[in-house]
Amino acid sequence: MDKLNLTHHISQKFNEELEDVRNRVLAMGGLVEQQIVDALRALTEGDSELGRAIEQHDYKVNQMEVAIDEECSRILARRQPAASDLRLILAIIKTITDLERIGDEAEKIGRFAARLAEQERPNTNYREIEHLGNHVRTMLHDALDAFARLDAEAAVRVAKEDERVDGEYDALSRQSITFMMEDPRTIRRVLDVMWSARALERIGDHAKNICEYVIYLVRGKDVRHSGFEAMEREVLERP
Amino acid sequence: MSFLFLLLLAVIGGLVYRHTFAWLFLSAGVYLFWHLINLYRLDNWLRRGRQFATPSSLGVWGEIFNHFYRLRRRDRERKRRIAYLLREFRNSTSAMPDAVVVVDALWEIIWFNDAASRLLGLRPGSDLGRRIGNLIRHPDFVGYLRHGDFEEPVNIPAPAAPGVHIALSIVPYGSDQRLLLARDVTRLHRLEEMRRDFVANASHELRSPLTVVSGYLDAMRADARLEGDWGAPLAEMEHQMLRMSAIIKDLLELSRLETEAREAPFAPVDVPALLQRVQRESQALGYGPRDVSVQIGEPLWILGAESELYSAFSNLVFNAMRYTPDSGKVLIRWAANGEGATLSVSDTGVGIASEHLPRLTERFYRVDRSRNRDSGGTGLGLAIVKHVLQRHAAELDVESEPGKGSTFTCSFPVERVTREARIA
Repeated sequence: MDKLNLTHHISQKFNEELEDVRNRVLAMGGLVEQQIVDALRALTEGDSELGRAIEQHDYKVNQMEVAIDEECSRILARRQPAASDLRLILAIIKTITDLERIGDEAEKIGRFAARLAEQERPNTNYREIEHLGNHVRTMLHDALDAFARLDAEAAVRVAKEDERVDGEYDALSRQSITFMMEDPRTIRRVLDVMWSARALERIGDHAKNICEYVIYLVRGKDVRHSGFEAMEREVLERP
Repeated sequence: MSFLFLLLLAVIGGLVYRHTFAWLFLSAGVYLFWHLINLYRLDNWLRRGRQFATPSSLGVWGEIFNHFYRLRRRDRERKRRIAYLLREFRNSTSAMPDAVVVVDALWEIIWFNDAASRLLGLRPGSDLGRRIGNLIRHPDFVGYLRHGDFEEPVNIPAPAAPGVHIALSIVPYGSDQRLLLARDVTRLHRLEEMRRDFVANASHELRSPLTVVSGYLDAMRADARLEGDWGAPLAEMEHQMLRMSAIIKDLLELSRLETEAREAPFAPVDVPALLQRVQRESQALGYGPRDVSVQIGEPLWILGAESELYSAFSNLVFNAMRYTPDSGKVLIRWAANGEGATLSVSDTGVGIASEHLPRLTERFYRVDRSRNRDSGGTGLGLAIVKHVLQRHAAELDVESEPGKGSTFTCSFPVERVTREARIA
């Protein structure tokens, strides 16, 4: 077999490996998305069994993280990728850490949901936290879409959403404080709601991190801790 | 023809003016020049390609140009027809309410219609060549792709349309191409949900009046004054009461199994001990054969939900008891089977005709109406068994011969079976 063909074959195999590992990251993302959906449903519908079931599914996410991590180190060691391939591997390694944390937060929400289900429901029926949850869920979904499509512009848009999530979280915590002052008997419940909201807000931060990795992957520029203006300039002005 | 004419001219010119060879040479040169010019025109025409009409010429070149002209006209006609067909085809698939996506062997998207961008959130143009699993990431769909068993569609919420449920199915065709079809099943999904809620609520609501009636019945049975005339009717009423509460209990159990999360938990369950317990209880039923034996091939455990497995196994065993004469036998076997494990319950009872086997796990399905009523079954046992096994990724298999007996076999997959008690 001539040499040209062989290297072509190798690079094609390599491409397939990269595509496979990317595929697995997104599958893991899908699993985590589902965990958030389940956690929110457990919370809003007061389904304590569903809330506890999330915990049992978390081991799958952890297993996937370990498997993808191993695959990435194998690719690094054997293929010694450069440029965009290297960036892809690095972005993947970071992304799965954030996904795993999101899974942990969802598990936490599930636990709070199980506890809240056994208490009296407030007349707001957890509408605010449902809204926040849906917002965060869409954020993660769009962040993963941006990762699948390697779409830096979409990543910037999603990262910007984090400000609004933070705002919503602030409003929710102010509201919780007034609830607690009005009727100290609700403190226990409101605290659990607060912790759930906190977990959702953290999920938003992790989704934003994933967007930053997408920008790093596509543009080769680290935009962490640089503010949205810098991020926008980086992506939108250099097409 | 023209060449002969030129030759003749040259010969005549030679005869009249001498220098025959020079004349011949000259005429050959002119002839060659004419050919070259025509070749050049042909080449030019082919290269430009855009000009439809061929250059015109005389003699053999005229013929050739004519041929080309006819060929091109035919091609254009054919192309127009194919383009028209293709356009019509695409228009019709675009207008289809179901989403259609064509993917190749690597699951990369080749083409999709408008409904696919609406339901699945695919973007026209930029999403071609991406893997479908990267864009539709629901765990059920990803698992469906990985398993490669496309006989049944998979139901997931639509990724791009909130509140919409879709049924996705995959049809392989041609060489390594696959067609992915997604249908909006929101209405069906809602109906199914309503049915489930209805059954759950109805059985729940029926329970409390039944408790009241059963309390009064107990009191009346204890009353000695009613013993004479009313003894038999009261006994029958109590019997029917018990049957009704058994049915409601099973209905509640079934609706709980249906509404719970997709998968059973992974808690270790000591199957040999569970089977011994079922065997002991079978002796206290008051019907069926005395000869019920348990064979344990290997003391394997299952990772699952103990209460569900208990109700599945006991339903299988009590069913076998119900349809086996007192002189018969019931055998419970638990053994390793390749990587997984199987539980089988065999009896030497009446058996089931083969036409009933596919419908056996339907709710309230009766093989023989007259017989079942006095045997005391609720008609829900096997439906419960089916649901429990589904939640444990196990399969139910029934073999039966009328008059000889039946064997119910549950096969558990490797990920649900463990060699020893794991600490949860």
